[in-house]
Amino acid sequence: MSSAQGSSTKSMGSDQSSIRKFFFSNEFGLLFLIVVFATIFALLTTGFTSRFNLYALGRNISIDVVIGFSMMVVIVTGGLNLSVGSIGVSAVMFGGWLLEGMGSNLPVAFIFLLLGGALLGAINGVMVVRTGVHSFIITLATMSVYFGLMIWLTQAEAFRNLPPEVATFGRTKIYGYLSPLLLISLGVAILLAILYRYTSLGRNMLAAGANPTAAELSGVNVKRTFILCHALSGLLAALAATMLTCRTGAAIPSMTGHIGQDWLLPAFLAPVLGGTLLSGGKVSVLGTFFGAVLVSLLTNGLLLLQVSEFWVQAVLGALLLSAVLLEKLRNVVLLQNRFI
Amino acid sequence: MPLQKLLKTEWSGLLLVVILAIMLIGYLKPSFLTPFNIQILLAAISVNMVIALAQMLIVGIGQMNLSVGAIGGLVAISFAGLMDVFQLPIPLAVLVGLLIGLAAGLFNGVIIAFTGISAFIITLASLSVFKGINLGITEAQPFYGVAESVKSFGNSSLLGTLPLLIIPMLVCLVGVWVLLNRMRYGRHLLAVGASPTAASLVGISVRNIVIGTHALSGLLAAVAGMMVVARLQIGQPTIGDDWLILSFAAPVIGGAVLAGGHVNVIGTLLGVTTIAIITQALVLFEIDPFIVQIFLGLLILWAVGINRLRDLRLTLFSKPA
Repeated sequence: MSSAQGSSTKSMGSDQSSIRKFFFSNEFGLLFLIVVFATIFALLTTGFTSRFNLYALGRNISIDVVIGFSMMVVIVTGGLNLSVGSIGVSAVMFGGWLLEGMGSNLPVAFIFLLLGGALLGAINGVMVVRTGVHSFIITLATMSVYFGLMIWLTQAEAFRNLPPEVATFGRTKIYGYLSPLLLISLGVAILLAILYRYTSLGRNMLAAGANPTAAELSGVNVKRTFILCHALSGLLAALAATMLTCRTGAAIPSMTGHIGQDWLLPAFLAPVLGGTLLSGGKVSVLGTFFGAVLVSLLTNGLLLLQVSEFWVQAVLGALLLSAVLLEKLRNVVLLQNRFI
Repeated sequence: MPLQKLLKTEWSGLLLVVILAIMLIGYLKPSFLTPFNIQILLAAISVNMVIALAQMLIVGIGQMNLSVGAIGGLVAISFAGLMDVFQLPIPLAVLVGLLIGLAAGLFNGVIIAFTGISAFIITLASLSVFKGINLGITEAQPFYGVAESVKSFGNSSLLGTLPLLIIPMLVCLVGVWVLLNRMRYGRHLLAVGASPTAASLVGISVRNIVIGTHALSGLLAAVAGMMVVARLQIGQPTIGDDWLILSFAAPVIGGAVLAGGHVNVIGTLLGVTTIAIITQALVLFEIDPFIVQIFLGLLILWAVGINRLRDLRLTLFSKPA
């Protein structure tokens, strides 16, 4: 939580010309909701502010943030990537095989599993660009293909004898309550913010997503840029799954659900709540970060409120539905009052 | 002439593939064409066709409904639960099941139509709501007390080959076909899918079409959910979890345009049949069941490629004219 707010001030520094605008922004709305819910949970539950809970919450947030980013970088193109869950689990199973089957060392396995994720993402990208078919249907197909290949090759067996460093890293506590995983997701957020704000590659990605024809005419290689976006998505999905593996201590074929479906909700909610346009061309790294924080916070708080874990999903879905609707309402009101 | 007419239809190629596949598999594995196996195949086709129709209608208006499986699952456990816990008579349980499906579809449709938020996001959120209610009610435990006549409906067949489950499927199929091809509402539905702006300019209420189509989709998902209960003989909370890929694959293989405005009922039926035959063949040839998943995905990619080729051919042929 505190770290999330820290990053908000950071990016506000580069945008101080419009503090007024920030108060009407999506990011501020999310921050407000986060503070409100955190306060409610802190007052109503006994365990919310405990060191252990904050630590566990931080770990969950860090994974959800990277899952959200893995979707965000493709939404930029006006497309989407349903196969993030499948790519993630396929990549860590590949990593697990490298470690257990091939006896390679940790850094090598880590680099290769990231590259594997990027490759699967790039395959999506190439097919989307070459066929001109919407990425929804391409990635719907590949989510099935990747997951099927992974489960066939592994025969649905988990890798449970990973080097102890993996689980140790997942259990590490900095100052008693900060997980190193959270630092990784913060690092990714900063890198992505730099990519979109300061590099020509990031600018090209946004331009190609906003208007492919115009971008092409201004000399952007739109096809290559889209493929890179998909590759980046695969890489981030692999990273998120690796972080999940650190938390659980094993690479398990079902860790992202049947054909990776369990990741769909967190993957879309973070960027969409964060104000990333589904039509492409606009992105909010900070918003996606806050979106993921909000989702993890709600899950955590509801469980602490002793909402049965079976009902949490329903309540979460309803809360998220209302969040999207409220966001819509806020925009309408702001537009009518000419605030934006 | 009829042959020429048949060849002109967009699904003639698919029909040929299906017939050739049946002949080839029947030749290699005679057990494929036994009455018992045909009955299993038709039962699978019946259930999957209703699922595919539920998605196909939404694809027709250029949207998507990720919650088809969640609605089907919620209806399935409600249907079984009403019979198990409250001993409700079957017609009443069916009626309540249909109403739940209708209400869930209306819920999606109203929110999408009135907010203009993308159907993808709304149905993703409602998926979570419906699935959550399902798990909240069942606590992940199935309902076993399904009425005997429902069980026997799901397992009986006419002449040893035609499962009774084919009846609700045919009702849905004919209903949707008539709706799309013979009724004004269906034309309007496809018009909205092709271009909402143009449709509203000629006086079609886009809002009503969106709401009505989602309600119909929910209704069809409900029928499918109850059919699965009859087939499985229990009300399992996991019903609907694996409908997502299938619901899109069949219409797309059948020639549906994802951007909306163009769907094909017969093509979708052939799409469902293709998937069922391939799945069945993999089982008969004792191929690893995990591979089914890969095949499903590849089938979608193949269908998309074929559709692209057909578009290309159409534009090539239409140029001289």
